[in-house]
Amino acid sequence: MKKFKFMKYKPSSWGFLSFISVLLVILPCMYILFHIFDKPNGNWYHIKAFLLKDYIINTIKIVIATGFFTMIIGTTLAWLIAAYDFPCKRIFKWALILPLTIPTYIAAYTYNGIFNYTGVVQIFLRNVMKMNLDPKYFDIMSIKGVVFIFTIFLFPYVYMITRSFLEKQSAALIENARLLERGGSDIFIHVILPISRGAIVGGTSLVLLEALNDFGVVSYFGVQTFSTAIFKTWFSLGDTSTAVKLASMLMVTVFIVLITEKWLRGRKKYSYTTAKVREIVPVKLKGVKAVGALLYCFSILSMGFIIPLLQLSHWSILTYKKILNFKFVGFMFNSIWLSIIVAVLIIVMSVVIANFCRINSHWISKVFSKISIMGYSIPGAVIAIGVILLMVSVDRKMVGIYKAIDSSSKTLVLSTSVFMLVFAYTIRFLAIGYQAIESGFDKIGMKFSEASRTLGYGVTKTFFKVDLPMMKPALISGFALVFVEIVKELPLTLILRPFNFNTLATKTYEYANDEMIHEASIPSLIIILVSIASIYLLYRIENKERR
Amino acid sequence: MKKKRIIISLAAALLTTAILAGCGRAASTNTSEGENKKEQVVNVYSERNYDTDKQLFANFTKKTGIKVNVFEGTADELLERLTREGKDTEADMFVTADVGRLHRAKEQGLLQSSLSDTISKNVPENLRDKDGQWIGLTVRARVIVYDKERVKPEQLSTYEDLTSPKWKGKVVVRSSSSVYNQSLLASFIAINGEEKATEWAKGIVANLAREPKGNDRDQAKAIVSGVGDVAIMNTYYIGKMINSSDAEEVNAAKKVGVFFPNQVTNGTHINVSGTGITKSSKNKENAVKLIEFLSGAEAQKSFAEANFEYPVNKAVQPSELLRSWGEFKTQDINLTKLGEYNKKAVEIMNVVGWK
Repeated sequence: MKKFKFMKYKPSSWGFLSFISVLLVILPCMYILFHIFDKPNGNWYHIKAFLLKDYIINTIKIVIATGFFTMIIGTTLAWLIAAYDFPCKRIFKWALILPLTIPTYIAAYTYNGIFNYTGVVQIFLRNVMKMNLDPKYFDIMSIKGVVFIFTIFLFPYVYMITRSFLEKQSAALIENARLLERGGSDIFIHVILPISRGAIVGGTSLVLLEALNDFGVVSYFGVQTFSTAIFKTWFSLGDTSTAVKLASMLMVTVFIVLITEKWLRGRKKYSYTTAKVREIVPVKLKGVKAVGALLYCFSILSMGFIIPLLQLSHWSILTYKKILNFKFVGFMFNSIWLSIIVAVLIIVMSVVIANFCRINSHWISKVFSKISIMGYSIPGAVIAIGVILLMVSVDRKMVGIYKAIDSSSKTLVLSTSVFMLVFAYTIRFLAIGYQAIESGFDKIGMKFSEASRTLGYGVTKTFFKVDLPMMKPALISGFALVFVEIVKELPLTLILRPFNFNTLATKTYEYANDEMIHEASIPSLIIILVSIASIYLLYRIENKERR
Repeated sequence: MKKKRIIISLAAALLTTAILAGCGRAASTNTSEGENKKEQVVNVYSERNYDTDKQLFANFTKKTGIKVNVFEGTADELLERLTREGKDTEADMFVTADVGRLHRAKEQGLLQSSLSDTISKNVPENLRDKDGQWIGLTVRARVIVYDKERVKPEQLSTYEDLTSPKWKGKVVVRSSSSVYNQSLLASFIAINGEEKATEWAKGIVANLAREPKGNDRDQAKAIVSGVGDVAIMNTYYIGKMINSSDAEEVNAAKKVGVFFPNQVTNGTHINVSGTGITKSSKNKENAVKLIEFLSGAEAQKSFAEANFEYPVNKAVQPSELLRSWGEFKTQDINLTKLGEYNKKAVEIMNVVGWK
């Protein structure tokens, strides 16, 4: 209790803690930027001469095609669900989020398992239909395949954001257009697209950040992009400085995506000034149109969720006896406790920073807020290399302290421990927790805490007695979102895990890469189930709040 | 409210201890073992994720009581870890599927000699490092695999022949990031010189039926499904496909033939899968015991029978399938060369556009 009083007299302790948190996030990135100007070596010139062009072209192709297709699928689905009524619409409304629960790397190997020579499709055509089609039609281990996977499993970002925008913001405009007897497609092009531009672009940029971050899919399909190039130079050539150069180029690409997003969103904001927003009244579709809408939604959902899940279930029946053993429980336990620890850590940090930022309107709080959400846009490959370089150098500087504590201590204490992984996760996923907490604070507003402070409570006491109890839903959603992301995360876990440390995600990747696709199905299914459970939890919280 | 504070501080305390415990975990395993000799272990960084290996490690533990901890990853990933961790590494042994990476580890000063009388007796001199820093455990041959319907073995002769116009659009091979291809090209640099090796790589790229992709098994499937006629592959994959639990894979493997190239010239390319003991190993004795076990008759037999690799131990016969393919002449070069020329080989492949 004494501690809290002490904090009351020094309100800047919130600022201090925020500063530390933000500093931790930004350090590894600074470390990368610091090394950009290292003198290039022979490897760099070799890569520049023979490989760089491919990396750039492949990355651009993937970004443009994925962006285009997710935009189309996400927006059309959002429009269908928001503006029309057709059979099973209520189910599709939430089910169309489900593809997000399947991590893209799992989707990649599942689809390859379906379409390759020994997969169910080719076997059926070859042995049952006696058809001998050119296998190139089934080859998804290519850029086209990568785009397919990203589109089908990431479009829900565009769908979710656009749909909720349309439901809440567009009723009057759409109904006016309907009154003027405009047809559905006409409204879509002339009303929906312009007003929901911000939402569509926002969702698409999330998809593109995921695509640029990806390592699992492109490395499994053997497509050379910046992510794979960074790891290849770093590991195969053992050349960190060139890898850092590539990493910095990737970061520049990310900034281009973010700037383009800002520019495309423009300054126009189509939102109402009143708090009372009417939800759009859906039009009932009949006959062919209704069937068409149903089929469209169903085929996307099948590709993005039902088919892969059926295939994985089939494989898991074949292999569960071999896979489910005592060791496997250990991997599961690792995945879960690690995710819980990091999620709690991130939520605590988010609360500290967000509370500091909302109380202080100083410019520095804006900077803090921006930095907190920056991590999510930095690809895993970049974070991994930044964190490793930083931690190893920190360890080397701290040897004195380690030796003082334990004379037989080794040099690399932090960088051979799970701390490194926790650190990297925090950088990458702080944004997700932070945004949940920030929007939670926005909802409760300042009135209550201002009243509390006028009545004599300090910042800290107000926080614990007034703000925190009201923040419960936001805390839970933030926790659930971060938790899922960490259970699914692959590249950071793969590179930064300590000796003898496996999680469900790393096991999945190992099995898949060792050509043991069937064996990979069980850890995959568990990851997917955990994701579904968390999304269900979020859905419940959202519904509760609405009531 | 008091309760809440207690809960919060408890949670905070729990979190810190959990994190500290996590940090300390790796550090403590070493010291505690050194002090009270509770449990004998050997820590292995391994690129070989075969079931055979896991079974062998289990047998070793049963026999000696020494626990084997395996950390899997690609050789490059593990090598980067070894370099980064330096003296503080937990690893006692580094196991790879290719000699090039072992050589690189040796050059970086990450290994030490692991020779013992038993090991010298088990492994012939040409299949281990001259300083004993790496030891070959199995031999694999990189051969030409062909479609039995469309190709007669008489049409095949050498690796070099695959670059001739008659194979235009008929060759399939995996990408240049496969270390097996890197070592193959490195062997050509060692034997024929850089210029001829570059010519060869260029010729292969010109004759490719499709962009290099997939793993070794995929090359065999590509031939069977008619994408190409001939593939460059490691022998044991055919053995594994024939014994696969997947009926389609068995079918595919039955439709292809194995051809050992360059028999009248300079021999078929071989590579070894092997291991070395790390310089900073804290359990060297246990590691030596494990290598003795792995190069011994029992383990060699299971490498041969279950994984279809050629045993290094002369006392052990290859599997029946491998014997049915007959004896063959191998490249006569020091395997160290594969490591020495690795970088050059990768550069050549990048230059000629071998994806």
